[in-house]
Amino acid sequence: MPVPILETRGLVKRYGSVTALGGLDLSLEPGVIGLVGANGAGKSTLIKILLGLIDATAGTAEVIGYDVVAQGPLLRQFVGYMPEHDCLPGDVSATEFVAHMAQINGLSRSAARERTAETLRHVGLFEERYREMRGYSTGMKQRVKLAQALVHDPRILFLDEPTNGLDPAGRDEMLDLVRRTGNEFGISIIMASHLLGEIERVCEHLVVIDAGHLMRSGPIREFTATTGTLAVEVDGDVSALHQRLREAGLEAAHEGRQVLVALDGEAAYDIIRDACDDLGVGLVRIELLRRNLEDIFRERAGEGVHAAS
Amino acid sequence: MQPADARTGNIYDLGYRNYTGKRLGRRHAVLALYFYTLRSAFGLGRRTSSKIIPIVIAVIAFLPAVAQLAIAALVSDEVDIITPEGYFGFVEVPIALFCAAIAPEITGRDMRQRTLSLYFSRALQRRDYALAKLAAFATALTLLTLMPQVLLVFGNGLATNDVTGYISDNWADVPRTFAAGLLIAVLCAAGSLAIASQTPRRAYATVGVVAWFLISFPIANILVFAIGGVGRYAVFASPFDFIYGCTLWIFGVGAEFESVQEEAGFGLWTYFVAVLAYIGAGAALVVRRFARVSA
Repeated sequence: MPVPILETRGLVKRYGSVTALGGLDLSLEPGVIGLVGANGAGKSTLIKILLGLIDATAGTAEVIGYDVVAQGPLLRQFVGYMPEHDCLPGDVSATEFVAHMAQINGLSRSAARERTAETLRHVGLFEERYREMRGYSTGMKQRVKLAQALVHDPRILFLDEPTNGLDPAGRDEMLDLVRRTGNEFGISIIMASHLLGEIERVCEHLVVIDAGHLMRSGPIREFTATTGTLAVEVDGDVSALHQRLREAGLEAAHEGRQVLVALDGEAAYDIIRDACDDLGVGLVRIELLRRNLEDIFRERAGEGVHAAS
Repeated sequence: MQPADARTGNIYDLGYRNYTGKRLGRRHAVLALYFYTLRSAFGLGRRTSSKIIPIVIAVIAFLPAVAQLAIAALVSDEVDIITPEGYFGFVEVPIALFCAAIAPEITGRDMRQRTLSLYFSRALQRRDYALAKLAAFATALTLLTLMPQVLLVFGNGLATNDVTGYISDNWADVPRTFAAGLLIAVLCAAGSLAIASQTPRRAYATVGVVAWFLISFPIANILVFAIGGVGRYAVFASPFDFIYGCTLWIFGVGAEFESVQEEAGFGLWTYFVAVLAYIGAGAALVVRRFARVSA
């Protein structure tokens, strides 16, 4: 089993009478990890504790084997952080700022310059990197924020809502960049987001926290396992097919241009095929539906269950 | 390969490589912050408008030295209008202006723009950050307190007919000048940053620093001269007054006739102690502020 990149034991954070984290035990292996929870669930609090920006009320945390408190400055040479909020000074250029941040992370002046040029290119900032950042668009600012988190080649990268404020195209590019950074350069990524669709596209592992407690942690495929429902799309009379399948003893539901059928053994496929043949409708598609994360959370919210697994 | 138009807004994967070089750690981080802050105190690496105020104030601090050198060169070789201890009296106001204008930028900028979270999630600690900022600002002020005097000493030495005689007459003033220049710079840095760091708002910080230097001054003088008794202690609340008292003590010169230092009647060494106490308290306040500020 690989060494965990992140391990917390009984992590508690209280603000007065409010408990932001209530005894979090977490152990994560390297990879691209999504951190999901509603606003106020404790995502940012957890990240800030791991970065040493705030102190935990109780408990310990280790990142890549270093204690976040006792070995803070040493650990943070290998950590990158892209905050959710604005953090860029307006009156310096991206080049100047990112190079400075690289030096604060322990790179020599010349190494910092070289890495700055490479990293800004990596995130897609070219000639404009010599201009003052006050004139940048939101998309450009987000790229600089990512660049300053990457410039020193961290071993672990914390991204807090990296697509905040981006338009759909910018969002796609940012997610693509995050995925490539994680997969191709061996950097572990912890990405906090309240948008499940984004997590699903980028992450391999999912951590769900709710009200400061761990709800679930596991590979993303565990969350999106198959549902046991077949979607049958036909070119023809959908309601007739629906009728026929029910008569054949299948549990079926009519939904738009398709019929949803509960998969009850292999026989169902034959019944569907024969029914289409009898009715003379063209069979366009039979698909075994996978659940997406949003469905799962909707179900959970409906049940009102906070079951930890 | 670079695309023909690099500004189309797409993300191209061109540059990223893993870094295998040395990581120099916390000490390097602190030094990098120190030099970056020192440069930014004079607006270097920033737009022209950021350079105007610090450079104009620096020029004002140099004016008396330049004026004296000009007079010495044109009129006579034996003119010695400005004494070293007197020079600190001349540059007090430019120093106060520099503190009021620049101290809020030194600490407030990172709070306003929320850059602090990027610093504190890097290879330094909150205390390192506070002390690096303080040291950089003190260094910037040292340029104002000492460089004009260095110019003066060189200029006077060159203007005189007897260079070796000039040096032997004045050498004792050199360490005193350095001691006083350093103390004043560190004191003004610690005091003004202690005030300015309490707020991210530039306007409040500037008013606070101005109040510390300029409003305390007439009030202290009124209390000392008009009330006396316990009112004499007000001299320790006015930076201009206790800085000058400390300078006089360093140069071993007595308080001038009818000056506030004479009227207050304390031994001049007490001003030196006051300066040290202010430096300690100011530095502690800056460190405390950044230990607590949320990032």
